[in-house]
Amino acid sequence: MAYRSDDDYDYLFKVVLIGDSGVGKSNLLSRFTRNEFSLESKSTIGVEFATRSINVDSKLIKAQIWDTAGQERYRAITSAYYRGAVGALLVYDITRHVTFENVERWLKELKDHTDAHIVVMLVGNKSDLRHLRAVSTDDGQAFSEKEGLFFMETSALESTNVENAFKQILTQIYRVVSKKALDVGEDPSAGPGKGQTITVGNKDEVTATKKVGCCSA
Amino acid sequence: MKSGNKDDPRKTDGSLNSLDRRLNQTLKSVQGLLKVPGKILLSRKGTEPAAPSSSASSENPLRKDIDDEAGTGPRNSGVQSASTSKVDAPRSNGSNRSDGVVENERPSSSPSGSTGSGKGSSADSSRPSTGGRATDSARVARFRKELSSPAVNLDALRELAWSGVPPDMRPTVWRLLVGYAPPNADRREAVLERKRQEYVDCIPQYYDISDADRTEDERTMLRQISVDAPRTVPDVPFFQHPEMQASLIRVLYVWAIRHPASGYVQGINDLATPFIIVFLSEYLEGNMENWDIAKLTPEIVNNYEADCYWCLSKLLDGVQDHYTFAQPGIQRLVFKLKELVRRIDEPVSTHIEQQGLEFLQFAFRWFNCLLIREIPFSLVARLWDTYLSEGDSFPEYLVYVCASFLLTWSDQLQQLDFQEMVLFIQHLPTKNWTHQELEMVLSRAFMWRVMFQQAPSHLSSG
Repeated sequence: MAYRSDDDYDYLFKVVLIGDSGVGKSNLLSRFTRNEFSLESKSTIGVEFATRSINVDSKLIKAQIWDTAGQERYRAITSAYYRGAVGALLVYDITRHVTFENVERWLKELKDHTDAHIVVMLVGNKSDLRHLRAVSTDDGQAFSEKEGLFFMETSALESTNVENAFKQILTQIYRVVSKKALDVGEDPSAGPGKGQTITVGNKDEVTATKKVGCCSA
Repeated sequence: MKSGNKDDPRKTDGSLNSLDRRLNQTLKSVQGLLKVPGKILLSRKGTEPAAPSSSASSENPLRKDIDDEAGTGPRNSGVQSASTSKVDAPRSNGSNRSDGVVENERPSSSPSGSTGSGKGSSADSSRPSTGGRATDSARVARFRKELSSPAVNLDALRELAWSGVPPDMRPTVWRLLVGYAPPNADRREAVLERKRQEYVDCIPQYYDISDADRTEDERTMLRQISVDAPRTVPDVPFFQHPEMQASLIRVLYVWAIRHPASGYVQGINDLATPFIIVFLSEYLEGNMENWDIAKLTPEIVNNYEADCYWCLSKLLDGVQDHYTFAQPGIQRLVFKLKELVRRIDEPVSTHIEQQGLEFLQFAFRWFNCLLIREIPFSLVARLWDTYLSEGDSFPEYLVYVCASFLLTWSDQLQQLDFQEMVLFIQHLPTKNWTHQELEMVLSRAFMWRVMFQQAPSHLSSG
């Protein structure tokens, strides 16, 4: 199968990509998962999905990333996909200030639909368009500190910081999850049972799942 | 629900025969598309044929044969593999299925339902060329005859157009099908002129105003449309011309302002594109790649935009609640699709469910963009021929089209786990599709509708 995936991973994390329409969510995703960027990409309708696995602390982390449509009309549909997410990349476009102004509304969306422990990173995308910049790095940084978010500026086009952004959020999720595992009295190095879901979520939600061996989750 | 009308005398009346005949032709044409030997049997209850050649005799002969034929067809792997496994697959609702044989008692044509690959298609069903039917000379002659009538018979036109419209007649036929141009030839020009003017008058009123004169919502909407315009059919360079972009934005914005219940929703930009290329084809010749919209006079631009605007409006009028808050129309159709797939292909349905894949995850875009995103752009005008011919039945038919589309890959889907399925369905292998594969999907959808309409409990919900 063309899409046969690597089924060998230690953790499976569900991450959502949100933010206004046209800020570059889909290209961040394709850059991270396929190392591709397209100037000819279409708007995302509903949700799309991709995965990639990376190593953190010698553990293989598989990220299942849900890319969502940015238009407000789609919130009713897309917010259903927030459920079970352990991480969110909240993206704005550094050349369009309005997309930064809307970040607060997106944060509220997250608060309304996700677990309180979700790891959120604010991402200012299109950093390659220096001459068109409308949101300063300082503003992005300051806002993130105020809201307790991780922050990074990226360029999906130039492939700047994309890898870093995803790696950082996945690492943070891993830490949160490991700590949670400790909190419930488990040794993360020994690991919880096979396919055990660590964070909250519905029975059929893939959230943060620790796998042992090669059995399917 | 069984029809329970074995002895119904209506079954022998003319209209029924006509439906039978059409369905037979659809089947032949499906068979033709697949290039397989043998014949598809179609019978009424009571004259059920001896079990078709191979096993599975207990099954509905119609289903069985189609499955077989599809399964053995040497043509295109996508379609071929669609049904191979289904021959032996366990079936649900076997009892209902016998109703699928066409002793359909409903009036011969629902507004739309009419036609399948209608009359005249049997002769050319074996043509290998793409879109062969649309350009068949006998059909072209019938189109000409119909269009030259002082009062076009819309039912007859729907029936003809359902199987494909010759490209040079599309603009005229589409304007008639959607009810934008009146059937009466005497009135046509005057009506079009008046409606075109109505659109043109909207531009200074709504579009050519300063941002300060717009409401916040209107500004947001215009911004959204402007973000999406460059992302509309981005793989076709013609759509990137600045004039083309401006034109698209005007049409979408005027539509959005005049339809405040939904306003502009992403994906509606895609739905305007078949109208754009078809109505521009009246004024620009040759390959679309070489079109230059800048060469057109303002008057022509106005006319073509107005035609796009009105026809888009007519199309969307029938699916208005697809785009209102929470998009209930789409949610309802997704639910119906799930039910229908369960009836038609239980193994796939079970597999999808077991893997935890929600129909909403993939079918949302299908319904939102009417499958336009899922097939090559070169086929969308052909797809629109059938959609527009469906008239009021279009939303219901669309569910069958989506089922037929999905089950094209019934076999493959059952081999995939959750993640693989999502990725596979996001980018279905339709890149090399021609009219044949598309018409296969449409014809099969037509057939299933005929079969399942006999058993309304199949789709009672919603």
